[in-house]
Amino acid sequence: MRVAPFATVALIVLQGTSPQDDGQWTMPGKNYAATRYSGLTQITPGNAPRLRPVWSFSTGVLGGHEGQPLVVGSTMYVVTPFPDVLYAFDLTREGYPLKWKYRPEVNPASLGIACCDAINRGAVYADGKIVYNLLDGHTVAVDAVSGRELWKTQIADINQGETTPMAPFVAGKRVIVGPSGGEFGIYGWVKGLDLATGKILWTAHNMGPDSLMLARPGRGNYAGDPNIGVSTWEGDSWRRGGGPVWGWISYDPELDLIYFGTGNPGPYNTEQRPGENKWTNSVLARRPGDGTLVWAYQFTPHDSWDYDSNAEMILVDLVIGGRMRKVLVHFDKNGFAYTLDRVTGELLVAEAFANVTWAKGINKRTGVPILDTTKTTGASRGNVQGICPSLEGGKSPASPSAYSPRTGLFYTATNNLCMNFEAAPVTRIPGTPYIGATTPYVAGPGGHMGEFIAWDAARGRKVWGIKEKFPVWSGSVVTAGDVVFFGTLDGWFKAADAKTGRQLWKFKVGSGVIGAPISFRGPDGKQYIAVYAGIGGDWFLLSGDVRSDDPADVRPPADFAPDLARHTSQGGIVWIFGL
Amino acid sequence: MAAGGNQPPGGEIKNPLSIDSTNAADGSKVFSAMNCDGCHGGGALGWVGPSLVDGRWRYGGTDGALFQSIFYGRPRGMPAYGGIMSPGAIWKVVAYIRAQPVPADVPTERWPSGERRP
Repeated sequence: MRVAPFATVALIVLQGTSPQDDGQWTMPGKNYAATRYSGLTQITPGNAPRLRPVWSFSTGVLGGHEGQPLVVGSTMYVVTPFPDVLYAFDLTREGYPLKWKYRPEVNPASLGIACCDAINRGAVYADGKIVYNLLDGHTVAVDAVSGRELWKTQIADINQGETTPMAPFVAGKRVIVGPSGGEFGIYGWVKGLDLATGKILWTAHNMGPDSLMLARPGRGNYAGDPNIGVSTWEGDSWRRGGGPVWGWISYDPELDLIYFGTGNPGPYNTEQRPGENKWTNSVLARRPGDGTLVWAYQFTPHDSWDYDSNAEMILVDLVIGGRMRKVLVHFDKNGFAYTLDRVTGELLVAEAFANVTWAKGINKRTGVPILDTTKTTGASRGNVQGICPSLEGGKSPASPSAYSPRTGLFYTATNNLCMNFEAAPVTRIPGTPYIGATTPYVAGPGGHMGEFIAWDAARGRKVWGIKEKFPVWSGSVVTAGDVVFFGTLDGWFKAADAKTGRQLWKFKVGSGVIGAPISFRGPDGKQYIAVYAGIGGDWFLLSGDVRSDDPADVRPPADFAPDLARHTSQGGIVWIFGL
Repeated sequence: MAAGGNQPPGGEIKNPLSIDSTNAADGSKVFSAMNCDGCHGGGALGWVGPSLVDGRWRYGGTDGALFQSIFYGRPRGMPAYGGIMSPGAIWKVVAYIRAQPVPADVPTERWPSGERRP
C-alpha cells in the first residue's frame, strides 16, 4: 500500500460539477460526467468514525438492490428491484415518512428473461419527472411531486429476450435507454426518447448495417469501415449478436456526445460468430439529439470470455504526456483500465487493474489486445483453464466507480476471480437463453476474492487497495471531505480515507451490498450518506443459501464462496448514515 | 403474483413414456436444444432457475406436474414451452429429469477448510 501522491497529480478540471455542491443527487452518476463525487465536506476522516445510522427502511423486496436512490430537493426517491415500485420519502419530517408510492404493472414473465436477477439500477430526475425503466421493457415518467404517471413507453420486447433494468440517462431533452439480453441473443440498441412525451425519436443499433447503426463513415471522427457492423460477423449472426446496453451513460455537453459501453456478443460459443463482432464490448460516442455514431472503440474484439464493456465512462480532464486532454476513464470487465481521448476515441492509457491472463497487454498503437491464445475459448477447444478475470469481470459494470478531483484518483470495487470456460453449440429460440458455456469460478492469486482500490488513470497504476474476502460488488461515492464509501458482499458498509485507504468506519447493514452509495445534504443542512443493502444480481445465482425462500446449495456454481451465507441473506434495506 | 403460469384445469396426467435410459438420453438432448440448461444449468443443477435434481419441487415433482410446468410455464420466469415443443418432446424432458439421481443430503451451508464446523 502506498500513500496517494495526490499533490503531484496533474491539474484536473472536473466536468459538469459546480464548485458549490447543491446537496442533491439527481442522476445515477451524480453529474453528467458520472464522477459520483459529492462536494459536501462535513464528513471527514477525523469524524467518520462517529458515523451512525439515522434511518432505515425495508423495501419489502428480496431481489438484488443495485443502483442508488435520488435526492431531489427534500425528497428521496427509491426504485426497488422487480416489481419496480417507486417510493418518495419526505426528508423534512421525522422518520422520513412516505409521501407516495407508484406501483406500476410489470409483466412477471420478464423475470425469466432477466439473466441475472430481477434488478433495477435506478432512476433519473429531469424537468420535474422521475424517469426509470421497468424490467418488462417499458420506460415510465412519473411526476416528481404528485407521483402521477405522465407517460409510459414500450422500448423493448421480452419475447425477444430483452429486459430493461438499466437506469435511463437524460441529456438535454433526450431520455437515453438500452436493453439487457446479451445472454438471450438480442440485437442490441440504444434509443432516444422525448423527455416531454416519451415518444421514441431514434433507435441506433450497435451492430449491423451503417444505416441501422446510424453511422456515417468518413463524417466526423467515425473511422469504421463501411458496414463494419456486418463485415465483422459471419452471415447474419449480427442479428442475434447481443451487444446490450445495460450499464451507465455519461454526457459531455460541450462536445454534445453521450458515451456508453456495449455488452458481450452472443452466444458465448465464439465459433458461432467468427469475426471481431463490432461494436460489441465497445465504447460508443453518439449525438443525443439524433443518435448519430461519432466514434467507437472496441475493448475486446471477438470476445471469448463474456467481457461486457457496460461499465461507466467517467469524463475528466487529465494531463497526459504533458498535455491537457479531455478523456474518459473506464474499468472494463476484461481487467484493463482504459483512458481514452473522448473527442476522438484515441487510446491513451491501458493497464491491468486486476489479475489478467487472457492478454499480455494492449497494443497502444493499434488499440488491440495482445492475446494469450491458449486462453481463447470455443466449442472445439474443450474446457479452457485458468482464465482471469472471470466473467464477473475484473470489476463488475454493476459497481460504478467514483472520481475525486481533490485526490485525482478513481475509486472502484474489483473482483479477484478466475474461471474455466467450456463452450458448447447453442440454438437461438427467442425469449430463451442463448449462452452455450459453463464457467465455474475460483479465487485468484492471494485467495482474497475482492479488493477496493484507488487508481491513477493518468499513469495507469494502483495507488492503494483494501483487500476483501469476497468479491467487491458495490458502487462507490467519494466526497470533498476526502472520505470514500463502499460496501461488501458479506454486508459491511465501509468508509476509508480517500488519500491513504486507511479504513475509518464500518457498519453491518443486514445484507450484502451491491448498490451504489450517494451523499446528500438534508433539509436540516447536514451531510448524509445513503446506500442500499440487499444481495442479489449475479449473486442471486452464486450465493448459495442466502435465498431463504428457495434454498440453493453450495455445489457448483456457488461453491467458490461456500460460507457467504453465514454472513448475509437476501432482503432490501435503504440506509441513511450521518454524524 | 397471479399472472403467468396459471394452473390448467383437469386431473393428474400420465406419462406415456417409460423413464428409461433411451428416453432420458433423448430428453437430455432436448433439454440442451431448447436452452433449458441456459436457466437451469448444465446437468439441471440450477443457475438462474432452480436445480431440477435436488429433490425439491415448488410446483410438484410428479410426471404430470413437471409436464404442466413445462407446457404452461410457471410464475417468476418459467416460459410456457407448450407453443414451441411437442407433447412428445416435453415427455422426453420429463423422462430425463426423473432419471436423474436425487442426492440423499443436499447441503445448504459449508465451511471453508481450516474452519471447524460447529
